[in-house]
Amino acid sequence: MSRATIVFRRITVWTVLKWALALIVAAIAIFPIWWMINVVFALPGEPVSLNPRLWPSSLSAGIEKIRMIFMETEYLRAYGISVVYALLTIAGVLLIGSLAAFEFSLFDFPGRRLLFGIVMLSLMVPTAVTIIPTYLLTSRLGWLNTMQGLVVPGLASAFGLFMLVQFMRAIPKDMIEAARLDGANHLQIYWHVALPLCRNALVTLAILTFMQTWGNYMWPLVISTRPEMYTVGQVVGLFNSPLSHHTVDTVMTANLLAAVPPLLFFLIFQRKIVEGIAMSGTKG
Amino acid sequence: MAFLEISSLSKFFGNLCILDDIDLSIERGEFVVFVGPSGCGKSTLLRIISGLEEITSGTITIEGEVMNDIEPAKRGTAMVFQSYALYPHMTIFQNVSFGLRMARKPRDFIAERVRQVSSILQLDKLLDRRPAQLSGGQKQRVAIGRAIVREPRVFLFDEPLSNLDAELRVQMRAELMELHRRLGTTMIYVTHDQVEAMTLADKMVVMNGGRIQQAGAPLALYDDPDNRFVAGFVGSPRMNFLPARLAAAESQGVRLEGIGGFGTATLPLPGLAAAPGPVEIGVRPEHLHLLSDGADEEGLVLEGEVTLVEELGAESFVHMDLADGTHVTVRAGRGAARPAGRIRVRPDLSRALLFGSDGQRLRAGDGRKV
Ligand SMILES: Nc1ncnc2c1ncn2[C@@H]1O[C@H](COP(=O)(O)OP(=O)(O)OP(=O)(O)O)[C@@H](O)[C@H]1O
Ligand SMILES: [Mg+2]
Repeated sequence: MSRATIVFRRITVWTVLKWALALIVAAIAIFPIWWMINVVFALPGEPVSLNPRLWPSSLSAGIEKIRMIFMETEYLRAYGISVVYALLTIAGVLLIGSLAAFEFSLFDFPGRRLLFGIVMLSLMVPTAVTIIPTYLLTSRLGWLNTMQGLVVPGLASAFGLFMLVQFMRAIPKDMIEAARLDGANHLQIYWHVALPLCRNALVTLAILTFMQTWGNYMWPLVISTRPEMYTVGQVVGLFNSPLSHHTVDTVMTANLLAAVPPLLFFLIFQRKIVEGIAMSGTKG
Repeated sequence: MAFLEISSLSKFFGNLCILDDIDLSIERGEFVVFVGPSGCGKSTLLRIISGLEEITSGTITIEGEVMNDIEPAKRGTAMVFQSYALYPHMTIFQNVSFGLRMARKPRDFIAERVRQVSSILQLDKLLDRRPAQLSGGQKQRVAIGRAIVREPRVFLFDEPLSNLDAELRVQMRAELMELHRRLGTTMIYVTHDQVEAMTLADKMVVMNGGRIQQAGAPLALYDDPDNRFVAGFVGSPRMNFLPARLAAAESQGVRLEGIGGFGTATLPLPGLAAAPGPVEIGVRPEHLHLLSDGADEEGLVLEGEVTLVEELGAESFVHMDLADGTHVTVRAGRGAARPAGRIRVRPDLSRALLFGSDGQRLRAGDGRKV
């Protein structure tokens, strides 16, 4: 029997339906991005019609728009700020989250449950509630329009802590004790045993943090009022604003550029994200 | 002072007493085995020696140095866990060398030590693998390798073989004995398998309810237990206990009545001063002899109904119930006929042990009261 027939045989109505559904969902998800690409890679004169064109019409026009945005607006600096903002936040969230999770999940200390409960409680408080006190605190510290003002309030991630605690709880106590007997001190146990064992969780958390930080609009909007400290989100917001003098296709270019990093990130780490969520990290 | 000395050690978890007034001395190079039923505190005692668990009161010294407040890694002890506790993200080489790397030993030294250890334990070909790629026995060897590589003064094993299948267990047991012979290092080994304990131990420490019941050479414990618990715990099948009544203690021995419901006998325990009262006679299965029909019935003979016969080839065990319901196991040779129905057995009273109602052994010359 040939391979083709085997494959053919397995195709049932159910498979067809599943595929159809998956394709429809994918099309709906991809279409706005594709449309954005079409608008960007088209001659400036072409009207942005509501009946969408299905293909890009001019590569060079698109590249020219991108060049214009990078060279003639504040976009590039904002890009830099967003990247630094995201990377610092990721580094901080991973470091603080994993250190805290290490203590919470593997060691006992007075008030452990209470403290953990309080941190978890903060998961249930919406940002809208905390943003004003956080703003006031940050401004008292004189951190308005600074990188630390942007980054520091986002470092304590209750969600990250929760996720890492779940992973680290799965590490057997014996292993920690074996490391202690092997002469590893507290930090060495953290670094050589606990951290590598939740690598998948760390990668996942890094990605989620990136997505969240890159897309964060509200906090930068409050904290960075000076154009020099604008993030990509804010700059794109300027492009989008009613008073903007940019044409629709330029605005679309700005939007597309802002969407590229998270897209790339997701495409590269897609498997890791799913794996990290599915596995508990210490099997074997 | 002994190599390792534990004195008046107690351990509480909260207000729960887990170890109660433990005294124990261990000589250099001794193979010591802690045995006892589940939950009796064996692991806790081992972990206290390793330093993983704090002491509530009492002291531990190794080579005369008090260990109470010394960090685990600095005690010169190494532990092998029942779960192996290998680091899954490291290769076998990295696992074995972890302790040395933490101690910042030079690379060449580490490589050389790991090479030596892996040749002792036949790990040479596995060094690049990860724990998940090893069999149970191999993982166990890596765990032992990780302990050996640090050249500890004392090895601590917590039920290291209990995750292995029966055959592998016997093989690893032999390997452990060989390792002990080769290294000559003091080893403390926890198990609740008394066969393992008997075969491995120079000194066997029987524990129950957080107390040491008796410590000594395995055969000494087998032949001369201090109390009913030790007598019952050591040996398989276990010792038979026949309820009886102590009628009178005379100078040549004690007169017993109501043995197994009806028998009377005099146990040769000269000088035992004990008041009349309920006692128990302990007789091992091999000290009960089947009587053929029509044999002479002089002395104590027990009669009962056969409930089960276990044929093991070279020997067989006959289980029977006496008239008063006491369950008795008899070790029999490989007889022509399989015992069935009512049978009679004669205990070898010269090997029988006597236990008071409090479970303590009553010995010849004992002045204590029952
Ligand atoms: N961290 C702890 N907190 C409270 N109680 C504990 C703790 N560790 C052990 N125990 C209790 O101490 C007692 C002795 O435990 P231990 O582990 O020493 O027993 P064990 O003799 O090793 O038993 P096993 O043969 O089942 O391993 C048990 O009753 C156990 O419940
Ligand atoms: Mg135990």
